[in-house]
Amino acid sequence: MDTVIDTTDRTFVEVAEIWVPEGDRLVWGGGAYGGLGGFEVASARESFGKGEGLPGNAWAEARPVVLKEFDGSYFKRTEAARAAGLTAAVAIPVFAGATLKAVLVVLCADDAERVGAIEVWAEGDGVLTLEDGYYGAASHFEWVSQHTQFPRGQGLVGGVWSAEAPILMRDLGSAYRFMRADSAGKAGLTNGLGLPIPVPGGRTYVLTLLSARSTPLARRFEIWDARTAKVGAKKEARLVDGICSREGPLWDPDNAGRERAVRIWQGPVGHALGSGLPVVESGSAAGGYAMMVALPIHAHGELSHVVAWYC
Amino acid sequence: MQKLVVIGAGMATGRLLEHLFEADPAAYEVTVFNAEPRGNYNRIMLSPVLSGEKSYAEIVTHDDAWYTANKVTCRFGERVVAIDRDRKVVTGERGEVPYDKLVFGTGSDPFIVPCPGHDLDGVVAYRDLDHTNRMVESAAMPGARAVVIGGGLLGLEAAAGLRLRGMEVTVLHLSGHLMDRQLDPAASYLLQKDLERRGIAVMTQASTKAIHGDGHVAHVELEDGTELPADLVVMAVGIRPSARLAREAGLEVGRAILVDAQMRTSDPDVFAVGECVEYAGHLFGLVAPLYDQAKVLAKTLLDEEDAFAVREVSTKLKVTGCDLFSAGDFAEGEGREDIVFRDPSRGVYKRLVIEADRLVGAVMYGDTADGNWFFGLIKDGTDISEMRESLIFGPAYQGGAAQDPLAAVAALPADAEICGCNGVCKGRIVEAVEGGATTLDAVRAETKASGSCGTCAGLVEQIMSVTLGDDFVLPAAKPVCPCTDLTHEDVRRLIKARELKSQPAVWQELGWNTPNGCHVCRPAVNYYLLADWPLDYRDDPQSRFVNERNHANIQKDGTYSVMPRMWGGITTPDELRAIADAADKYGVPTVKVTGGQRIDLLGVPKEQLPAIWGDLNAAGLVSGHAYTKGLRTVKTCVGTDWCRFGTQDSTGLGVKLEKMLWGSWTPHKVKLAVSGCPRNCAEATCKDIGIICVDSGYEIGVGGAAGMDLKPTEPLVKVVTEAEVFEWVVAFMQLYREHAKYLDRPYKWLAKVSLDWVRETLADPAERAALNERFAISQSVYQYDPWKEHTAAEQERRYQPLADLTLEAAE
Repeated sequence: MDTVIDTTDRTFVEVAEIWVPEGDRLVWGGGAYGGLGGFEVASARESFGKGEGLPGNAWAEARPVVLKEFDGSYFKRTEAARAAGLTAAVAIPVFAGATLKAVLVVLCADDAERVGAIEVWAEGDGVLTLEDGYYGAASHFEWVSQHTQFPRGQGLVGGVWSAEAPILMRDLGSAYRFMRADSAGKAGLTNGLGLPIPVPGGRTYVLTLLSARSTPLARRFEIWDARTAKVGAKKEARLVDGICSREGPLWDPDNAGRERAVRIWQGPVGHALGSGLPVVESGSAAGGYAMMVALPIHAHGELSHVVAWYC
Repeated sequence: MQKLVVIGAGMATGRLLEHLFEADPAAYEVTVFNAEPRGNYNRIMLSPVLSGEKSYAEIVTHDDAWYTANKVTCRFGERVVAIDRDRKVVTGERGEVPYDKLVFGTGSDPFIVPCPGHDLDGVVAYRDLDHTNRMVESAAMPGARAVVIGGGLLGLEAAAGLRLRGMEVTVLHLSGHLMDRQLDPAASYLLQKDLERRGIAVMTQASTKAIHGDGHVAHVELEDGTELPADLVVMAVGIRPSARLAREAGLEVGRAILVDAQMRTSDPDVFAVGECVEYAGHLFGLVAPLYDQAKVLAKTLLDEEDAFAVREVSTKLKVTGCDLFSAGDFAEGEGREDIVFRDPSRGVYKRLVIEADRLVGAVMYGDTADGNWFFGLIKDGTDISEMRESLIFGPAYQGGAAQDPLAAVAALPADAEICGCNGVCKGRIVEAVEGGATTLDAVRAETKASGSCGTCAGLVEQIMSVTLGDDFVLPAAKPVCPCTDLTHEDVRRLIKARELKSQPAVWQELGWNTPNGCHVCRPAVNYYLLADWPLDYRDDPQSRFVNERNHANIQKDGTYSVMPRMWGGITTPDELRAIADAADKYGVPTVKVTGGQRIDLLGVPKEQLPAIWGDLNAAGLVSGHAYTKGLRTVKTCVGTDWCRFGTQDSTGLGVKLEKMLWGSWTPHKVKLAVSGCPRNCAEATCKDIGIICVDSGYEIGVGGAAGMDLKPTEPLVKVVTEAEVFEWVVAFMQLYREHAKYLDRPYKWLAKVSLDWVRETLADPAERAALNERFAISQSVYQYDPWKEHTAAEQERRYQPLADLTLEAAE
């Protein structure tokens, strides 16, 4: 991976952090805070009980939770967040069956200026509807999304649902390319990563990360397949899809099973694979990107996929 | 520098140029013609572009900068109209280009079904980026509907892409199962299920009659009259090598441009690569051999030695979440063995085909991790005799000990879900067992595990065995046959509970260990399916015994008997004349009056069957079904019409019953009789269903036998009116049809379920009505004369001697 990258654009996500269970509390498990040292310090000494604060709510409710306003909410680090300019957050619980492995929290800033979307879609009455989402300045797209529903197999969201696998879509804004294409195009959205969020109880949740060219949510997306049905008994994952603003396509052009592979504990994706926990890195450990997140998905009794994004 | 002209900027010629420039960039001055207004792109990735999972920019393999850097003169968007081999000149739409060497890479053209309406706007092929873009544009209309004709690799990728784009999609496939060239029915069943889960409708054995619309496509009409609304019709029914230009240039062309192993055509300065070539009788559609050809041709053009060889290819479908793999030859045949692995809970099916200690084919669905390893074994012709036992488990298990299923169960964590229906985990079952539940019934009562669909019963028993050790003996229920561990009762129950409506569904979901069952289980499963799902499942003649397949009883000399139905034992002079005429015309050696009150013509050769049936049909006679597991005869006495002792119209009742029940398939044969008085001249008391008429009404008895076992009927009920007789007899018949094990006569079935249970069940008027209704639905499908449909001329050939018996059931 090339280490010289263009990071002049401001990214959609400012902070990513991990909270892991320890006894009956979630404790800080590291994160990438950019230059927001004050918020990092405030976070590192924090912990959350079940139902407490944003990570504790994601744990208690066993679903991804979006928090668009900190003031007056259950968010515990409001003062530090305000000082850091952070305005919204999304907490994504990582469950393996009924066991909570960790909660990944991403925080965003300047929602009047930055475009992108982090959405949570939930199944009800046989379709997926928007449960919540954070859109930054993409308010029209938010409105369209609130009035859209996806049956199985249709669109990024319905596709993830029926495939039970992460999907990476390109050119969201092209006139014909996305279920909400017209509005996505106007919002400048480009790539979209959709991933299933398995939770206890079996309710279907799909999380989408939609990236815009001006304030990219990520400059590089990767989908790693780690299912036994794909890689066998080997403890490895294969890069089945990916796109990078520098390297271009990251998939096997011959569709011949010659995808890139990582073994467990090999790099951040290998760490996610080995530990079953999300991994957040920055700097050289993030391949030279300001930040990278590797998020494992546990489904059907195994770690099925790791999705990674770099920004 | 020599001049090289390449016609077609496809994947084969693109790879050729890469090899050429890599080996000797100064060898040729290259001009590339391409009818498409663009250079080379990765055509096999068009499907992800259609679905939105790739962008066109990502699949461009050679961009403008690449052609410029390699000094290639690009004549893109320009068709070649002629080639003058004498002058060594290629003529494009915008002028001539001389060549020293010429390469054809003209690829292939999509085949368009020449049905009426195929040229309407909105009907597209699926071959290039323009087609893809047209499809994507069609999908932009909210609620748009697409019909994809062709359930092969390309058609299904198109369907999945269009669905992801938001269209309502129906796939039409002419054959009986999807991707029939790459998959067997079992794998295809899983694929279809996967696609249907995405909201894609699949219709197999669907033949397109016409496409209708006023200028633009509006709907597709099938041969069976079905009409499917459509805004877009995608033709993905195959390709034809594009060889017209080569033919016009005077090159030797067979099904495609003929080349030798150096990719040289009949002209030593003209070459061809890709889908437009024919080599040693082979055509090519997948990319791997095209790349091999490109490599060989690059060497040939540089005067180096190399030779193209045909090799095995493997197939994968590019639909996210559909994991399938197919390689080699998986047709059944003499000397071939199958190894089958199924995991219904994960939707996994793997089948290996072995011939002479070599793996010759592999089909996998749901778990393709070892696909490339199996592919390697096929390509290399590896002797697999040493690893045969563990081959299906892949490379990880080679050299290791066989897996102990109990060890695997023991290793399951306490929170592992065992009973998916009732959400019971291993820990709860262990707790119940430790609390004193030591039988499956006790565990079921305590925890509900295995209380619904029952598929986890075996697993629950294994947990009990692990927990109780030697105190628990795994029960040894008699399975249907060696293809499965399930009993007939389990199979019947699961077919209903899990709504399994096809043979592949049964094989897969119930974990059969053979690809298509065997001569023992296939007839049984075929019966269970048609009895439980008369409107969804079609009777499979290949799963029937020979007599049922041929609608006649085979005799010891190989000839057949022909027995027309005589309703209630009544006949007419005209019918008797027709039978006599047929006996004379076909030289029938024996004419026999049977115990079932009809006439049997014995000794008819198989090839004469359709003709004799035709003659008997013409006289109004239909098949007597003397060969079926179904209604045979209804024997009657003359009753009140003629008999001094008759109490009711027994003949009329028998005729009506026979006309009501004939044609129905049952677990075993069913014989009826109606006697007009207790003197019982029709011998009703030893029939499966026997009715004795009495002054006060009708006594219905069931469960008699007069064969290997001798048993009188037992009284089911006494009723007053004929209408009640019909209601009760049909209800009993349907209850027997729905519950009995295949090949159990009613008396054997009654011994298992008890007459009391049957009486109790049928005593409920609502239950009787429901059974009558279901019987009527079944009869709406199956009450027909099989002779009639087999006397048509096109069917006659079926009765000529034939060869392929690979799928046939018991003789």
